[in-house]
Amino acid sequence: MTAIKASKLRKEYGGAAAVDDLDLEIGEGELFSLLGVNGAGKTTTVKMLSTLLRPTGGEAWICGRSVLTEREEVKALLDISMQETAVARKLTVEENVAFYAALNGQTREEAEETKRRLYDAFGLGAVAGKRAASLSGGWQRKLSVALALVSKPRVLFLDEPTLGLDVIARRELWQTIRSLKGKMTIVLTTHYMEEAEALSDRIGIMKGGRLLFVGTKEELFARTGKGNVEEAFLEIVCGGGDHE
Amino acid sequence: MNKGSFARTVTLARRNALEILRDPLSFAFLLGMPLLMEVLFYYLFHKMTAQFEMKYLAPGIVVFAQAFLALFSGILISTDRNTAFLTRLYVSRARASEFVLAYTLALLPITLLQSSLFFVVGGILDPSVWSVRMIPAVFVSLIPAVLFIGFGILIGSLCSERSVGGVASVVIAGQSVLSGMWFPTEGLDGGILTVMKILPFWNASDLVRGVALGEGGFDPAPLCIVLAYAAAIYAIGVVVFGRKMSAR
Repeated sequence: MTAIKASKLRKEYGGAAAVDDLDLEIGEGELFSLLGVNGAGKTTTVKMLSTLLRPTGGEAWICGRSVLTEREEVKALLDISMQETAVARKLTVEENVAFYAALNGQTREEAEETKRRLYDAFGLGAVAGKRAASLSGGWQRKLSVALALVSKPRVLFLDEPTLGLDVIARRELWQTIRSLKGKMTIVLTTHYMEEAEALSDRIGIMKGGRLLFVGTKEELFARTGKGNVEEAFLEIVCGGGDHE
Repeated sequence: MNKGSFARTVTLARRNALEILRDPLSFAFLLGMPLLMEVLFYYLFHKMTAQFEMKYLAPGIVVFAQAFLALFSGILISTDRNTAFLTRLYVSRARASEFVLAYTLALLPITLLQSSLFFVVGGILDPSVWSVRMIPAVFVSLIPAVLFIGFGILIGSLCSERSVGGVASVVIAGQSVLSGMWFPTEGLDGGILTVMKILPFWNASDLVRGVALGEGGFDPAPLCIVLAYAAAIYAIGVVVFGRKMSAR
């Protein structure tokens, strides 16, 4: 079943296309990585798919619901973890989880179950009583990603979730993301090629708002004749790959 | 407002209140500094000049302290807006109207605390302040509070975190200089007094002062002017915040 579908999705700023007639289909339970250099249109694409930006043209559907005409229904299906850490800074970790659970209409029992689930998945119990502002960057990012899972979304957007993390924190977060594979559809945008290689079922490569490649790692290697994602990415982006 | 919307608003309001109350600067500016000024002005002037009367100063201090609500609501909204926190909430089921109401509800209990504190301290310093009218005056002070929260919503929706302080200080300075809280306004030049009576600041102080003192009967003009400003500023703030929140 298709979880995400975009058809001729387009966003223009002052006449310039940030996303240029993007066509894309992502299956349910898939982990799809969107790669691209700065300004490639990854975040704009994610923002349009998650109802944060209204497209200039085209259409997109999340689990069959239109992001244009069924925004409230779409919001109920997805959640997002932005590039920046998105937590209530003066609330403790426990209060942050309880806040998002309440905001999602969860009962006290459901909120308690959510807390246990997230503490297990992210190890947040160790810092439960600490205010978010006092946590390290790695813990703040973990909390930020964890909060996106409070609502048990069917589609999760992770916009550069490991940006700025040290190598240990990044690997820990990879482990957590890996544990989510198959349980929900995940769209991951990243600058880190090894991240896409380690986690993705399929990879999309964007440049200048256009999707230049969509496929598995193996298909990417076969197309470019390279043996790793970084080399293949450079070949596609710098070597003038065609829209697939 | 349905049950879900009410629950979300209360949840957001609780979070906003915690964010403000856990900032030591909030206490310093919303309570500490106005309290210091109330005490200081009493000891500096009550023996020096016959024109000084604590019963006139206390209601002025109440409204002056409320002006800082514009600063703290502005900072909170601007910070939320400029971080991914509000962006994340945009994807939740919460609506713009719930956010705005939650920012307001979080601050109204703080307003009641401010008003009660400054009337009580005024009464301790000068027993002439004590009156049963202090109770309705505390509740009437919610009206100018809504005005200043409206300023905060507007400023926080339009300004960056860095510029909120500067812009909100214009509102605070307006309340301090143009409200007539420090001195009697009767002897002022007619032009200045006319300007003061057109702007909301003098009227906000006069409204609370009028209810607290009950002298010369109830004058509806300050109430009408403050209500009109509060409704207009709050409505503009809500519209601007809503526009920022809606998908562009």
